Amino acid sequence: MIEAKGVSLRYRDGTLALNNISFEIGTGELIYVTGPSGSGKTSLLKLLMGMEYPTSGSLTVLNQPITKREAMKIRKLRRKIGPVFQNFRLIEGRTALENVMMGMRFLDIPFRQIRKNALNALSRVGLEHKAYSRVENLSWGEAQRVSIARAVARKPALILADEPTGNLDHDNALNILDLLTSFKDDDTTVIITTHATHLIENQTNATFFRVNKGNISIERRCEKNEEVLA
Amino acid sequence: MKKFLRNTGYFLKEAKRIISLNLLSNIFSFLGTGLVLFVLGMIVTGWWITGRMVDMLQEEAEISAYYREDLDEQDVQKLVDRIKGIEGVWEVRLIGEEEAYNRMVDILGEEAHILELFDENPFKAFIEVRIHLEKIKPVLEKVSELDGIEYVRDNREVLERIQSISDTLRILGYLIIIAVGITTMVIISHMIRQGIYNNSEQINTLKLLGAPGSFIGFPYLLVGLLLTLGGGMLAVALMIFIIDNGYAMISGSLPFIPLPPKDELVHGLVVLIMAISAFLGISGSLFGLSSTRDIEGKG
Repeated sequence: MIEAKGVSLRYRDGTLALNNISFEIGTGELIYVTGPSGSGKTSLLKLLMGMEYPTSGSLTVLNQPITKREAMKIRKLRRKIGPVFQNFRLIEGRTALENVMMGMRFLDIPFRQIRKNALNALSRVGLEHKAYSRVENLSWGEAQRVSIARAVARKPALILADEPTGNLDHDNALNILDLLTSFKDDDTTVIITTHATHLIENQTNATFFRVNKGNISIERRCEKNEEVLA
Repeated sequence: MKKFLRNTGYFLKEAKRIISLNLLSNIFSFLGTGLVLFVLGMIVTGWWITGRMVDMLQEEAEISAYYREDLDEQDVQKLVDRIKGIEGVWEVRLIGEEEAYNRMVDILGEEAHILELFDENPFKAFIEVRIHLEKIKPVLEKVSELDGIEYVRDNREVLERIQSISDTLRILGYLIIIAVGITTMVIISHMIRQGIYNNSEQINTLKLLGAPGSFIGFPYLLVGLLLTLGGGMLAVALMIFIIDNGYAMISGSLPFIPLPPKDELVHGLVVLIMAISAFLGISGSLFGLSSTRDIEGKG
């Protein structure tokens, strides 16, 4: 599903964000990308979204090579991805329902189904009662949930969540993580970046990408907290 | 296409939102476009009217050939036949002294009594030669050279002057069309760019969600189209008002100016101005939309 071979990312100002990383992610996996601020977590997600291109090495997401030359195809690839942005990127002046529907309007989904999917997704994140509220009137946690609803409503093959627990209190943060991990199934891979490692320390059946200064160490945890180092 | 039709409501709603976001600027653009198109419409009207005048006067292009008085009827008839054979001549008539006198009476109207001052008919018989305007020069030369022709009178100068006015208006029209085109495109593309930058956050989010360029850009294209079509309608309304009043005034005080039928003129102007508005709206928007590439969200 995702394959990275010797990928490096160096920004124009010379900052080396990722240094020669390699990994493989299969379908239906749950991945936590952890590390301190500035370690390269968001850069990794940007690469997976095609917002940046590797400066060396090769990266393939859902069989789509991430290169500058493939920019048009990458736009199409994004239709199979459900992104949850750190700052939500909800469109103000619209209702929660309109925001969720917005992510599906240009997909091959009939209009009625779009509305149905959006309402279902809002219901799944516990916000069906706020469907017709404008997003600027929602609380931080509610806006986060709308953002998740928008990502999952279109039934993506890959969910990418960038720091979804940031600015949330402990309980709300746990709820959001539980919610996101609940979308992992045989067809959907979920990748979550977080610097709040204490929230996931007991998590099993997941893979942990520990990013530090652009390098990655990978740990796979199976059922019963059994640890397998990759 | 199906996806486009399904999203019509969304596109219209978006266009309305983009316009209301910069309402005052959009109102000024609408008024500016309307006035610019009005100027264009007026030039085209002038263009059509003088063009028609030239066409009508060209049909009237004629020369009067005066022959020697010693020619008998047979000689004059031979002369008429020879003139008929000249290339560029489409009608030749012999105008007798009596007819020439009566024509002058018609022209002078109430002042015709001055002709009574003459003891005899002062007008000479002549040959009236109707010709194609573009052939006036060679026809004049050939007729003048004919044996028996004393002199030839023509209205070439008047025709050429009207033709030159029409040509000047045509050149002015082309220049104004270019100026209007550039001005309108600059106004519209500027408005579209402004709209895009005001909505750059939303555009970027849509890009990151994988929305195609056509889905992102179509509401902006609609905005450009609505602004220019609105401006076009304003221009047409102003022109109809001016044409209505102008026709009433000209047909009353200057009845000899050959105006085209009003309905035909208005219909032609409406079609022309609305077509130009639509074209400029779409091209101005597309020009403005090219700036969405500057917004982040690679791919």
